[in-house]
Amino acid sequence: MAMQVGGTSELNSDINVTPMVDVMLVLLIIFMIVTPLLQQGVSVNLPRDMISPDEDADIAKDTSVIVAIPDNSNFYIGKEQYPLDALGDVIKRRMEGKTPEKRIVYIKSGVEVDYGRVVQAIDTIRKQDIDKIGLVADKKKGGEAPK
Amino acid sequence: MGMSTSSGGASPNINVTPLIDVLLVLLIIFMVITPSKPSRFEAKVPAEPKDQPQVNVKPNPLTLVVAINKDTKAITLNNEAFGDVSDTDKLRDRLTEIFRDRTNNGVFREGTNEIEKTIFIKSPKVVRYGDVVRVIDAAKQAGAAPIGLQIDDLQD
Repeated sequence: MAMQVGGTSELNSDINVTPMVDVMLVLLIIFMIVTPLLQQGVSVNLPRDMISPDEDADIAKDTSVIVAIPDNSNFYIGKEQYPLDALGDVIKRRMEGKTPEKRIVYIKSGVEVDYGRVVQAIDTIRKQDIDKIGLVADKKKGGEAPK
Repeated sequence: MGMSTSSGGASPNINVTPLIDVLLVLLIIFMVITPSKPSRFEAKVPAEPKDQPQVNVKPNPLTLVVAINKDTKAITLNNEAFGDVSDTDKLRDRLTEIFRDRTNNGVFREGTNEIEKTIFIKSPKVVRYGDVVRVIDAAKQAGAAPIGLQIDDLQD
């Protein structure tokens, strides 16, 4: 056989796994990044391309309270759905032990939701002695800084 | 067999495939991370009205109330019309003007030395949330702070 004759000219019979490993690592990293984003709650059609909202890294934190209102009939905190009258207790429990300046509830509401529904949620929130509300909105890329 | 004779020699080319792969990973990571910078408008909510005998509060002449009409979606600022929710530029310009005048004239919030830039937003319940946020955005651009949302006695 030809193989046995020349020692230097052997065909390399190994499969080159480097590209495959690379692709696997890519997928791994992508999923590592995407998974926590997906778990943050229900998906809401936020108001887009707003010019002046302030960036607030606290929104992404696990400890912050975010009320999501994806449509006219549901309220969510995290991934759990709650009826309107149960919202207050949940918020109260989550707010326990927070300093006054950290007592802010974020509202993620869809653009098509009636303002009245949002007001109902805010009304429930303020019954827990919270007077600061963060209305979550998408900032336009490269939007001008607030004057 | 041809194999047995030619030794081939080491290929002098650098294998760039892993390098490109790693760069693509980085590209994808940054594409994923960039849009996830959350931002929000801060709004104040008046305290719940207590069951107390109505106290006559002296109306503040500096109060700015932005209202949205439920049918025409027109915006009014202290009952003067300024465009509608699809075009909030007029409102923004007017508010900027008001705040500039106040800065020049030194109009301070009562008991403090901050310029009075409080704004209240009043909207009927049937208005889309998106439209209300557009108005808040306009007010914020003009520099209004704090922004208050009226919660009680809204019309349907």
